[in-house]
Amino acid sequence: MKRLTCLACTLSVSVMVAAMVGWSIPAGNLFVPVIAIPLGMIVILACRRNVQEVICDERLNKVQSKAALRTLEVVVIAGAIAAVILYSFMISDSLNPKVTGRIYPGENGTNSMTINLYKPGSPETPENLVRTTTIRDINAMNESEAVNYCQYRREAFLENEQKGVEGMTIGVGLIAILVTFGAFYLYYDRKY
Amino acid sequence: MKNRIRVLRAEHEMTQEQLAELVGVTRNTIISMEKDKYSPSLKLGYRIARTFGVGIDDVFTYEEDKDGPSNDE
Repeated sequence: MKRLTCLACTLSVSVMVAAMVGWSIPAGNLFVPVIAIPLGMIVILACRRNVQEVICDERLNKVQSKAALRTLEVVVIAGAIAAVILYSFMISDSLNPKVTGRIYPGENGTNSMTINLYKPGSPETPENLVRTTTIRDINAMNESEAVNYCQYRREAFLENEQKGVEGMTIGVGLIAILVTFGAFYLYYDRKY
Repeated sequence: MKNRIRVLRAEHEMTQEQLAELVGVTRNTIISMEKDKYSPSLKLGYRIARTFGVGIDDVFTYEEDKDGPSNDE
């Protein structure tokens, strides 16, 4: 097997394993990662063993270690800056009022809704309640009811999107690390 | 560090690929060494010299005047 064939095989197996793990966790099927990850590792190792060409030598090791060290330096500095910025966002988030809402089915087939506004950074208890708005019919609300409803929906969306944002952050972080490493690798590969 | 790998390879009618295979490195490493961009380890230096059947001094020449603290960076 050639080096490029092995690389293509490794990439396809990694993508397949990642896709299977990504699918199985939300589906609640924990057997898939337990089987897929070791199986993928075995396939990749078997591919590497069958390569007749030299995969890695001392020059490549030097290039990779230099690129990895520079990537680490850049990622640590950029990560520290990003962490401070994101943490300041988290602190300032508690200054926003907490909005909750609840829908009640009405007698005549309509749905009413109660929206509660609590003091910033406080638990949702009656003493921290700032304002309550009741929308008699959520299908026929007036202007102030609509404003309250929009604010509630915005809060709800933020909460729902939090997990997605976390996943995106990890994904973008990994891509940034890979791109940085790739750039340094190409630089040192040309240098040596 | 200067080297005579290209000359010795020509004398032995050997391609970069063949030399790389004999000493167990990639062709890119041989290319880099021939361009004086990469200084090999002592181990690889001896392997190359042994492949050509000469001493390590006949392959590599240390240039003291060009050596500096920032040479490796």
